[in-house]
Amino acid sequence: MTTAGAVALGAMLLVAVASAVIGAIGVRVTRSTSDFLVASRSVGPAANAGAISGEYLSAASFLGVAGLILRDGVDALWYPVGFTAGYLALVLFVAAPLRRSGAYTVPDFAEARLASPLLRGVCTGFVLLIGWLYVLPQLQGAGLTVTVITGGLLPAWTGVLAAGVVVVASVALGGMRSITFVQAFQYWLKLTAVALPALVTVVYFLGDAREFDRPAPPQFPSAASVDVRTDVLLDVRVPTDLVATGRIDGIDVRDAGLRWEPGLHSAEAGSRLGFTEGSSVPVVAGTPAADDAWLTPFPEGRENGLLSTYSLIIALFLGTMGLPHVLVRFYTNPDGRTARRSAVVVLALLGGFYITVTVLGALSRLYTPQLLVNGDTDAAVLLLPTAVLGVGWAGVAIGALVAAGAWAAFLSTSSGLIVSVAGVLSTDVFRRGRVRDFRFAAVLAGLVPLVLALGLGRLDFSEAVALVFAVAASTFCPLLVLGIWWRGLTDRGAVVGLLVGGVLSAGAVTVSLLGVGGDGALGVLLYRPAVVSVPAAFATMVVVSLLTRDRRPADVDQILLRLHAPERLGLSRDRLADRERRTLR
Amino acid sequence: MSMTGERSTRTVYEEVQDSAEFAQLRSRLRRFVFPMSAAFLVWYLAYVLLASYARDFMAVKLFGNINVGLVIGLLQFVTTFAITTIYVRYANKHLDPAAERLRRRVEES
Repeated sequence: MTTAGAVALGAMLLVAVASAVIGAIGVRVTRSTSDFLVASRSVGPAANAGAISGEYLSAASFLGVAGLILRDGVDALWYPVGFTAGYLALVLFVAAPLRRSGAYTVPDFAEARLASPLLRGVCTGFVLLIGWLYVLPQLQGAGLTVTVITGGLLPAWTGVLAAGVVVVASVALGGMRSITFVQAFQYWLKLTAVALPALVTVVYFLGDAREFDRPAPPQFPSAASVDVRTDVLLDVRVPTDLVATGRIDGIDVRDAGLRWEPGLHSAEAGSRLGFTEGSSVPVVAGTPAADDAWLTPFPEGRENGLLSTYSLIIALFLGTMGLPHVLVRFYTNPDGRTARRSAVVVLALLGGFYITVTVLGALSRLYTPQLLVNGDTDAAVLLLPTAVLGVGWAGVAIGALVAAGAWAAFLSTSSGLIVSVAGVLSTDVFRRGRVRDFRFAAVLAGLVPLVLALGLGRLDFSEAVALVFAVAASTFCPLLVLGIWWRGLTDRGAVVGLLVGGVLSAGAVTVSLLGVGGDGALGVLLYRPAVVSVPAAFATMVVVSLLTRDRRPADVDQILLRLHAPERLGLSRDRLADRERRTLR
Repeated sequence: MSMTGERSTRTVYEEVQDSAEFAQLRSRLRRFVFPMSAAFLVWYLAYVLLASYARDFMAVKLFGNINVGLVIGLLQFVTTFAITTIYVRYANKHLDPAAERLRRRVEES
C-alpha cells in the first residue's frame, strides 16, 4: 500500500473512533426511550442545524455530486440544487405542523391523523423500503472509498462491512442524543474536507494556463494508466494513441500500441489502458465529450433532456420531505418556531457545501480526467488532492482529510437512517418500545442493507439516490402534504394513493434497471418516473378520499387545528410523553 | 391511542377553531406558502426550459469560462436561500404575532 493510502486509512479509522467516543459520552446522558429516539427534543437550533446537515450530506452529496459534474457538466447542477431545494419544500409544507402533531415517525403521523392500523402498516413498510434503499449506496460508497484509496489492495466488501459494523454499533449503543453531537461534528468535518481541497485546487487552477471552454475533449495532464472495472463503450473524438492490455474492440491484446480513430471503441472489464501526457481523453459514450458541450445544457445526444430533468427536479424537490431520517430530525427541535429557525441555518450550510463540491467536480475534469474513461467518476473528490499536489506531504494530508470526510458522510447518513428504521421497527414491528428492543431493532435495521450491499452490484450514486427520492416523493410527500393541508383525506384514500405511488415509482425504476425501455421518452419515464408517479399518487389520494367521504375522521377539525395552531396554546400533544406515561402506569 | 382526553376539552378547540384570529392565521399561512412554492417551482422549470430552447442565450460568455447558463444555474442556490429567509421573516413578523394574539385570547377565556 502507498503512504497516501495508509495515511488515509488511518484518518478514516480516526473518524470512526471519534464518532464512537462522542457517541459514548452522549450515552451517559441518555436515560429514557424518548432521549434515545429524539434526544428529548432539547437540542439547540444551531447544533441541530449542524446535525441535520451532517445527516443529510450523504455519500451521494460528498462523492456523487462532484462525479456527476465531472461527467455530465451543467446538467448535473440539478442534483445539488434539488437536494437543497427539497429542504425548502420540507420547511414550507411540513416542518412546523409535523412537529406540532407530536408524532415522531410517518407511521405515527398517519395514525394520529387518520387512526387506521392498515395505513400505519403500509407506512411502516415504506419507511423500511426507503430507509434500506438509501443505506445501500452509503455502504457501497464506503466500499468504493476503501478500494480507491488503497489503490485496489483492499476489496470493496471490507469497507462495506466496516462501515456497517461501526454504524450499527454506534446506533445501538448511543441512540439519537449522542448521534446529534456526532452528526454536528461530522458536518464540520465534511465541509472542511471539501473546502480545503477546493481552495487549494482553485489557487492551483488560477496559476495554471488552462481553461474549460474548448471545443475539444479534455487532455491527460500527465501520463495515465486506467484500469477498466466494468465494460465500457468509449467515444473518441480525436485520433488517440494508447498502449492497451485486455480485450479491446473485441480483440485480445497485450501491451499493444494502438491508434484509436474517431468513433466508438469498446474495452472490457479487466483491461488496462495507458495514455501519454497531453493526449485526448476518450469518454464513456453518451456523456459530453468536448469541453464546450460539457459546459452547455443538454448537449447533443441528450434527447428528452427536458423531460428527464423535470422529473428529476420533481423527485428531489418533493422527495426530501419523505426521507425518514430527515423527518425525524425535525422532531428534535423544541417547537415549530425553532424548527423554522434551524431550517434556515441548514439551507445556508447545505448551500455552502454543495457549491464547494460543484467547484471540485468541475476542476476534476482538468486534473483527474482518467475517471471519464472507466466511468468511476464517483472517485473524483478522493483522487483530486494527490492529482493536484502530488504525493508530497500536502497531497497526502489533504487526501487523508478527504477520505475522512467521505467516511464521515457514510457514517452520518447511515446512522440517521438506521436510527429511523430501527425506531419504526421497535415501535411498529416489535411493539414494546423498550430500549433493549431498540438495540435489537438497530442490529436488524443494519443487517438487511449490509447483506444487500455485499450481494448486489454497485450502482452510480446518482441512479441509486434518484430512485430513493422518486419513491419518497411518490408516497410520503402526498400523504404529508394532503394530511396536513386538506381535511378531506381519508384512510382508504391514503392507503390506495401510497400503494399507487409506491408501485409506479419503484416498479418503473426496477424495470428500467433490468434494461427495458430504451432511449425514447418511455425509457426516460421508466428511469425517472416521478413526473408521472407523483401526480398519480396525489390524484389517487384525492379521488379515493372523495369517494369514501363518509370515512373522514370525526375529529379532523381538532387534528388540523392542533397541526396549525401555535404550540404555546397547549393544544399539541407529545405522543412520546403519552407513551411513557402509559408505560409507567 | 386514546383520543378521549382531547374530546373532553372540545369547547376550547371549537372556540379557537371558530375565532377570527385563527382563521386569519391560517389564511396568512396559506396565502404565503402556496404562491411562494408555485413561483419557486416556475423559476426552476423555466430555467430548464431556457436551457433547452434558448441555448444561444445560455451560452453567452460573461467573463472567462463563465456563461449565462452557469450563472443562472448557481442563482438557483441563492434564490432557494432567499426564499427561506423571506419565509422566516414573514413568519416572525406576521404569523407569530397572530399566534400570540390567539394564545392571549384562549388564556383569557
